Amino acid sequence: MSQLVKLLGFFPRVLKPFEYFEPKTIGEATQILSQYGERARLLAGGVDLVPRMRRRLLVPKCVVSLHRIPRLDYIRSNRGGLKFGPLTSIRSLELSPLVKKDYLALYEAVHQLASTQVKTTGTAVGNLCVATPASDIAVALFALGARLRLVGPSSRKTIAIEDFFVGVGQTILQPGEMVAEVVVPCPPAGAGQAFLKLVRTAADIAKVNVAVSLTVADGVCQKVRVALGSVAPTIIRARRAERILKGKAIDQRMIEEAAQAAAEETRTITDIRSTSEYRREVSRVLVRRAISKALERAKA
Amino acid sequence: MKKIEKETVNFIVNGRKYQLTIEPWVTLAEVLRDYLDLTGTKVSCGVGECGSCTVLVEGKPILSCSTLAITVRDKSILTIEGLATKDGLHPVQKAFIDCGAIQCGFCTPGMILTSKALLDENPHPTREEVKEFLAGNLCRCTGYVKIIDAVVAAAGAMSRGGK
Amino acid sequence: MSQGFACVGKRLAQADAPIKATGAAKYVVDMKLPGMLVGKVLRSPYPHAMIKRIDKSEAEKLPGVEAVITLEDTPKILYASSFRDLPMAPSGSLQRSDEYILADKARYVGDAIAAVAAADEQIAEEALKSIKVKYEKLPFVTHPRDAMKPGAPKLHDYAENNIAVRVTYPLAEGDVVKGFQESDVVVEETFSVTKQSSGHLETQTTIANVDPTGKVTCYSPCQLAFPLRRELAKIFNLPEGMVNVVNPFVGGSFGARLSVYNEPIAVALAMKTRKPVKIEYSMEENFTCVHTRTADEYTVKMGFKKDGTLHAMQIKILTWAGAYLGRAQLAGGIMLIWGMGHYRCPNKAGECQVVYCNTTPSAAMRGYGNPEVMWGVEQVMDMAADKLGINPIELRRENIKKVGEPSNMRLPIESTYLEDCIKAGAEKIGWKEKWGKKKEGLKRRGVGMATMTHCSGAYPLLIEHSGAIVKFNGDGSINLIVNPGSPGTHIWGALSQIAAEELGIYPEDVYIVTGETDKTLFDLGSHASRSTFVTGSAVLMAAREAKGQLLERAGRMLGVSPDELQVKDRKIYIKGAPDKGLSISEVVRSAMWEMKGEAMNIAGKSSFAPFPKSVSPPTAAYFAEVEVDTETGEVKVLKFITAVDCGTAINPMTVEGQCEGGIQEGLGYALTEDFFVNKETGVLESDNFTTYKMPGSLDMPETEIIIINKPDPKGPFGAKGVGEPALVGIAPAIANAIYDAVGVRVTDLPITPEKVLKTLKEKHS
Repeated sequence: MSQLVKLLGFFPRVLKPFEYFEPKTIGEATQILSQYGERARLLAGGVDLVPRMRRRLLVPKCVVSLHRIPRLDYIRSNRGGLKFGPLTSIRSLELSPLVKKDYLALYEAVHQLASTQVKTTGTAVGNLCVATPASDIAVALFALGARLRLVGPSSRKTIAIEDFFVGVGQTILQPGEMVAEVVVPCPPAGAGQAFLKLVRTAADIAKVNVAVSLTVADGVCQKVRVALGSVAPTIIRARRAERILKGKAIDQRMIEEAAQAAAEETRTITDIRSTSEYRREVSRVLVRRAISKALERAKA
Repeated sequence: MKKIEKETVNFIVNGRKYQLTIEPWVTLAEVLRDYLDLTGTKVSCGVGECGSCTVLVEGKPILSCSTLAITVRDKSILTIEGLATKDGLHPVQKAFIDCGAIQCGFCTPGMILTSKALLDENPHPTREEVKEFLAGNLCRCTGYVKIIDAVVAAAGAMSRGGK
Repeated sequence: MSQGFACVGKRLAQADAPIKATGAAKYVVDMKLPGMLVGKVLRSPYPHAMIKRIDKSEAEKLPGVEAVITLEDTPKILYASSFRDLPMAPSGSLQRSDEYILADKARYVGDAIAAVAAADEQIAEEALKSIKVKYEKLPFVTHPRDAMKPGAPKLHDYAENNIAVRVTYPLAEGDVVKGFQESDVVVEETFSVTKQSSGHLETQTTIANVDPTGKVTCYSPCQLAFPLRRELAKIFNLPEGMVNVVNPFVGGSFGARLSVYNEPIAVALAMKTRKPVKIEYSMEENFTCVHTRTADEYTVKMGFKKDGTLHAMQIKILTWAGAYLGRAQLAGGIMLIWGMGHYRCPNKAGECQVVYCNTTPSAAMRGYGNPEVMWGVEQVMDMAADKLGINPIELRRENIKKVGEPSNMRLPIESTYLEDCIKAGAEKIGWKEKWGKKKEGLKRRGVGMATMTHCSGAYPLLIEHSGAIVKFNGDGSINLIVNPGSPGTHIWGALSQIAAEELGIYPEDVYIVTGETDKTLFDLGSHASRSTFVTGSAVLMAAREAKGQLLERAGRMLGVSPDELQVKDRKIYIKGAPDKGLSISEVVRSAMWEMKGEAMNIAGKSSFAPFPKSVSPPTAAYFAEVEVDTETGEVKVLKFITAVDCGTAINPMTVEGQCEGGIQEGLGYALTEDFFVNKETGVLESDNFTTYKMPGSLDMPETEIIIINKPDPKGPFGAKGVGEPALVGIAPAIANAIYDAVGVRVTDLPITPEKVLKTLKEKHS
């Protein structure tokens, strides 16, 4: 967020030249990425990358397009969970009955992204790799306990999404690495999820976004995750809030307490979209509302 | 892996095949407007926020200002110039005209193509569904009211067999 | 409400809609001329700096670069980007000119320092990067309050404390001090309004071409083509006949295109290269360099008698000019005219100071001061209504002006149906059932309203002059030669209907010739909601003249006096004997192709330039229903009703379109659009739609437009203006509705949830 505008002395209208590759396999892609290191960028949908390049906020030496690699745009759901690839568009997640049925927080997150074109052109993985703390998709995936499968030229590992973001606009990806797959574990029976956000206009980046996923069995909360975005340099899990709820029969007072705890865990800033005080205040409100909604859905 | 510097590629635009030699950093909007002289597609914000640059690639609405042209080679692209046929205007175009949905006209090509994509996917949208689908298309002149009227009217005309 | 017209009053599709729907319509951004070069401007990265030295030698050597210019290469003539010398009535003052084509000193981030013309955009960019500018950075101020402080950096040599001009309300009356003493209730409040961007989608683009004879053609989206022509001729020392300003279709204006931006630079480059040069702004450049609505801080003080009669009124304004005056010079004064001219009031006075600071200049956006000032006035009215215990609607009714009373410009009002607007809107929104009720719960609803008076043209303050030619063709169609501009308001359609109505032909028989100063008579252009009224009147005059010739000729052919003839359905026939007549085309053809020495053109020409004895101001009432979330401060506008009195609606579909679009702009102004300048760097951060939020389809409320449709005695077929009235009272109506819902007021635009929540918490603590 620190550099919204680059002081160039002129206003660019076209992209600067770059070196360009179209690998046919993920292996080829990671090869080129490790060759160019920090100076390379992966191109998926391009909805974030291309405008950023035009504005000279990013001037990569090399752009690696994934679009010639087949079968990267899948959505699969089985006992192992929901899986999607690096070229899965945001819109296909929105339209998938599998997502809407069992991964409601994710559905709500993508549904509330207003622009049809952005959702059609843009990919979910691409959105994650931009690593903005305001990413609606990331906040939902935090609440759902998603894992990311990373591959490099000679490495593969799976990490929790909480470990993926390390700072504003920064992921844990090493030079040469890319996200090959996102895996969202199947929510157990008795689960309820909710996603909420506040924006200036419908087609806007969130001021605050919140996702909650919890499971209730015999009236007791078994598992709970509370995720907040746009309130810290990276998306946070409100762990104090979670501890207040986990293993208890949740009542209204507890929800209030948890919401308050979540708000206290934020490190909000003032920027063009909102103020620090407001973000802190409405974090509490949104967390309370999201927990209540998730609880309602769990009971249903 | 060899890097791609300048490539001669095929573009299929409005049913016609064009062979162009372009660099990878040229956007689809530039190819359409500057190379093929199809200036109906407009570039406005250049950051993917306004939808003015919308064209349909394999029927899907995408942002041509944020798309590298080389990535959509060999795919069928529909621009506003390709919507009308020798039989006349598309029902969406007719409805926009008749309902007063066009004022300055700059958002119009993007609006019409996005509306067509909606009706191809959902032939009987509610007003709310139309608003949702067009949420990525900005208009400063009309307040969207007659645009939504037009899309609903076009849906009606198309379901009655209007062409 | 039908008035028995043949085509006036009908909902007609626009003749230019089909080519816009097929993408064939060309805007300046789409135009290509053979050999055209790309022009690009080097802009200051600093908000305030001396320009010590510019070294362009490297840039000039680059292959593909055909010209590099700095201030030294241009005529060093001061001009006002919003046109000096727009003559004013004796009470006004001439506008000051305070800028050169390229800056002599950088006064804001984005100020134009140098420019290049090159073969393509990539080369132009390289050329700009190769221009070496030695800047000496100066301290800067990003807000007029800071600019006025002692010791603040001075932007222009003549302006002490950066105060460009002080204006006193020229139509002051009575004695305000005494008036407030005599009042039973006095309300005073301070308000602020923001620099709204016009948000037009076609970025500012100009093409300039100089032909072998030295004639300059300038393709521009400028709303005022003839003033632009005069300005270019003056700057470049050319006879006006050697300058042709061409307006193709324009992708939105909203007042921003009243000013001149890259036209003189493009002309300078074209003159140097002897090739066409196109300068196209990126959207970031558009936001940074195109003039915004003028921002202000102001105090409104109103005194009332206990029966609700307005007795005294005073407004004091601090106007934010930005780095150059543009039209901000007049903005404050005009705000006073709107604000204090809407209601009847025997004691009124006002003043304003226009202050420079190092930001994007402010000028004249849609409404030009009226939305800005009614934001405050209409809230103070509600505050007073509260104190007086009078329904806000009744308080308006008591104080709005009637026919014959002096208008905001102190000429008698020809027509006003504001009463009807208020009544119709109040009924539609359900005022009686919804306003002033006890509200409870998490989300609370409320209704609010506002009213306003605008103008149909800017006389007597500014020049009003439009000319038209109606020229019959042999087949009975006409060419209508006019130049009102093409801002997308459907004015050509309205003018066609006016001409067709008068001449007894159909709108589709009218072929508009427009958009070129070479080809048309003088027309001031499109602003001040003048086009329907003034250009429309010019068209009517010209049509009448043509009709006179037509009937005279037809009379001779039929052997009757012209007084016995009338026109209808493309025919001329004897009154009372519809079968005895001729087709219009027969008469025209016989005149045009006549072989016995009596051939003539059937054509009428007019100059409509009223120095009027009265005015025909449009009025409107606005009603909003909102729902406020008391925990988040979010305001959702559920329903918005605009009830407008714009005289006869020549095309009701167009009037609705203007009002619906006005609601989008007004909603943005009220709730989400704001201008963010980084205080450390002076850089504009709200420089594209990602950061500057305009309402999209999902943000719009349910809307309803009520057109009162009662004719004005002076307007063409009774029409008045509507373009700006569409927008004026939207923000205060919403503010008043929020007060009804949750009992708090936000006085500082935009009304963000942050401010609502803060005010709610302050109220409850």
